[in-house]
Amino acid sequence: MTRNPPHIARLEVDQSLAADGAATLEPRSVDDVAAILKHASERGLKVQVVGGGTHSGYGRPVSPDLLMVMNGLTQVEVWNPDDLTVVVAAGAPIAEMEAKLNEANQTSVMPEHPGSGTVGGAISAGVSALRRGKLYPTRERVLEATLVTGDGRVVRSGGRVVKNVTGYDLHRLAVGAFGAMGVVVSVCLKLWPVPEGQMTVQVDDPDRASEVTRPLAVLETREGVSVFLAGTHSEVEAQTRRLGGTARPGHSWPVDPAGEFTWSLRVPPAEMANAIERMPDAWGFLAVHGVGEIRCSSDSFDPDFRSWAESVGGRLVVTSGEAEDFDPWGSPPPGVDLQAKLIAQFDPRRVINPGRLPGGL
Amino acid sequence: MTLTQDLREALGDENVLEEPVELHLFSKDASLMRGEPSVVVFPANANETAAVVRIAERHRVPIVARGAGTGLAAGASPTQGGIVVVTTRIKDIEIDVENRTAWVGAGVINLDLSVAAKPHGLYFAPDPSSQSACTIGGNVANNSGGPHCLSEGSTTSHVLGMEAVLTGGEVVVLGGAAPDPIGLDLKGALVGSEGTLGIVTRALVRLLPIEPDVRTLLMDFATVEDAARTVSDVIAAGVVPAALELMDQEMVRAVDNWLGAGLPIDAAAVLLAEVVGETEGVVAQSELISDIGRQNHATGVQVAADDDERALLWLGRKSAFGAIAQLAPDYYLHDAVVPRTRLVEVMTGIYGIAEKYGLTMCNVFHAGDGNLHPLIAFDSSDPEMNRLVHEAGDEIVALCLKAGGALSGEHGIGIEKRDLMRASFSELDLDAQARLKEVFDPAGVFNPTKVLPEGSRCFDFGGVRRELPDGVWV
Repeated sequence: MTRNPPHIARLEVDQSLAADGAATLEPRSVDDVAAILKHASERGLKVQVVGGGTHSGYGRPVSPDLLMVMNGLTQVEVWNPDDLTVVVAAGAPIAEMEAKLNEANQTSVMPEHPGSGTVGGAISAGVSALRRGKLYPTRERVLEATLVTGDGRVVRSGGRVVKNVTGYDLHRLAVGAFGAMGVVVSVCLKLWPVPEGQMTVQVDDPDRASEVTRPLAVLETREGVSVFLAGTHSEVEAQTRRLGGTARPGHSWPVDPAGEFTWSLRVPPAEMANAIERMPDAWGFLAVHGVGEIRCSSDSFDPDFRSWAESVGGRLVVTSGEAEDFDPWGSPPPGVDLQAKLIAQFDPRRVINPGRLPGGL
Repeated sequence: MTLTQDLREALGDENVLEEPVELHLFSKDASLMRGEPSVVVFPANANETAAVVRIAERHRVPIVARGAGTGLAAGASPTQGGIVVVTTRIKDIEIDVENRTAWVGAGVINLDLSVAAKPHGLYFAPDPSSQSACTIGGNVANNSGGPHCLSEGSTTSHVLGMEAVLTGGEVVVLGGAAPDPIGLDLKGALVGSEGTLGIVTRALVRLLPIEPDVRTLLMDFATVEDAARTVSDVIAAGVVPAALELMDQEMVRAVDNWLGAGLPIDAAAVLLAEVVGETEGVVAQSELISDIGRQNHATGVQVAADDDERALLWLGRKSAFGAIAQLAPDYYLHDAVVPRTRLVEVMTGIYGIAEKYGLTMCNVFHAGDGNLHPLIAFDSSDPEMNRLVHEAGDEIVALCLKAGGALSGEHGIGIEKRDLMRASFSELDLDAQARLKEVFDPAGVFNPTKVLPEGSRCFDFGGVRRELPDGVWV
């Protein structure tokens, strides 16, 4: 049977968006996503899932037959500010959702400079906010996810409450999975209040930050080190005095270093100073102290730097730029066989972003 | 060789128990369900645990991992018989001060970890009420919470890596001190899986710096509704305290009678709130919380004067379940979670259910999370009472789910709540979970029949037809 399912027929097809002649489909509902994926599985078509296109540099390129663009699924479905949770469709732009949440002094703790990025994109790529040291990474903020598996099953995991141990956490497996556990179509996120007091203090050394307990973030770039404080006015004022240095009210988050070649260095936090020390002056970086994440840019890939990172239990993950002669992820992670078996249960024909995950999965 | 002979050879005679009285001691956890284990073993490390897994697979017998046996959902009750694997010999702690992490053996007692970390100015955030007895392995298996998970999240948020024994006795190390391990988050799937996917033998956990200051407030109210509304209002005001706990009058009286802590026994409900951080912050936050309490007609607001007073208040809270023994020999407990804005109506409904069935009910719970612990004190030797208690329990759960809640916030599903899973998830959802279980445990030895109701994986869905050999009848 090769007839088009009725859902496919009425979807918009915009060839101008397509790469290498792939058809572009814009699902308008969860049922549309299910129909597209079922159809793709029946025919063995490769589907590249596109949110805002901001993480397209992660993993090996897909060479898709279909581009599934999620920008038709953008609704904030349920937001009760007093519950500090929001249910939102995966294609919702982070910037728009955050603007709305900020009206009630709340945040989803998604990346501070999302660009055109979507909620589903950030979750599927497993990227987090710079505030993650205090407010935890994206992985810890997803309370519920609705996924559409490669063969078109709609599966929900988790719940719309802030604490939940009911059943296996499939929604956790979906974070950073690039759709391999199913395309994320809707999530419930744990929100956090934005405190009244906010201050950014420049210091000369990241160790100065130990003067205050658990600041929102300690960030270092080529321009210097800044401590981001948040809390009650009196608390932030006291912390500012203790830190010394130049203080500016509010938070002005640094942007990721730009360049032909960008990558994410992930090392144990105690290795950060060593990592920064090893970087040539020409490389740009944004280091999230206390976390072990350094976002970097350079003009080319440095295999020795990756070897060093892996030798200290870390990773060098390419986030944009050509990666033809080397693996964008580095050495395969432990448990690759198990991961492959798991993916076979959720995307049996391996149609969603095939090959994009580490280990060639 | 027999099962026991194999185990004795692998672990040594002294680490294998099989006398009836010994088996009886490990026949249940803190739930009401008992099983009949064939043998109880105490491996010293991952390799010995792996040997036990291989032996179990060879003999086709179930393995039930057990820490201190404080679980409340029968997750560690060997209801299918087989081998009980007790992790209490795996109790090394390696603290890495620079990275603020620790590798911790599964058998380490939760509180012992924070005690060991204290000289370094660090602590482990998850603090179940049973923290002086329960083990890290049990915390990982159940994704345990505790009062202080309100601001810092449950165990899963604090597990950065693990050493685990999987199917075939394969020992893997997943995750590490570096953030965002690449690939699928297998570790995230193992946390909270109640020993049904494998056995975690060591965990790499996050340690947090001890906060410089703390304020603990006790507010009493003339109605439970006023207390519950205070909780909702505090969250709505943009304050997330370190802890926000509610005890009703029945519970306060039981605790105070036992502890003599001078708790306000005439209040209908007592709210325990704790804020931590820099002094200026905790002062401002505790004032805000007091104000919100007063706006909701708090009849008394007191702040713990010193560490001793604070410790006494927390002892009262954390020993609440033990204090129930004064009321009846047994208790039956649910731990559903509801959205915080629905607390008032759900609490009212729960009291209505207790009244309808004529049951003695106490409530002590993590109000800030919306994690309820309605507790029915009763005598389980009375079959009619047993029936009533379970019927009331089911009604309470149905009420919570109807309010948009979840079945369990921190105790786990085990067997106790397994058959209620169908009220929380669709057939497709359960089928997906069952597929996960099958991949991790193809031999079906890891804590079988727990978590997922029977028949969760009973059919194939979706558009992909399996290729069938010729002549097969379908």
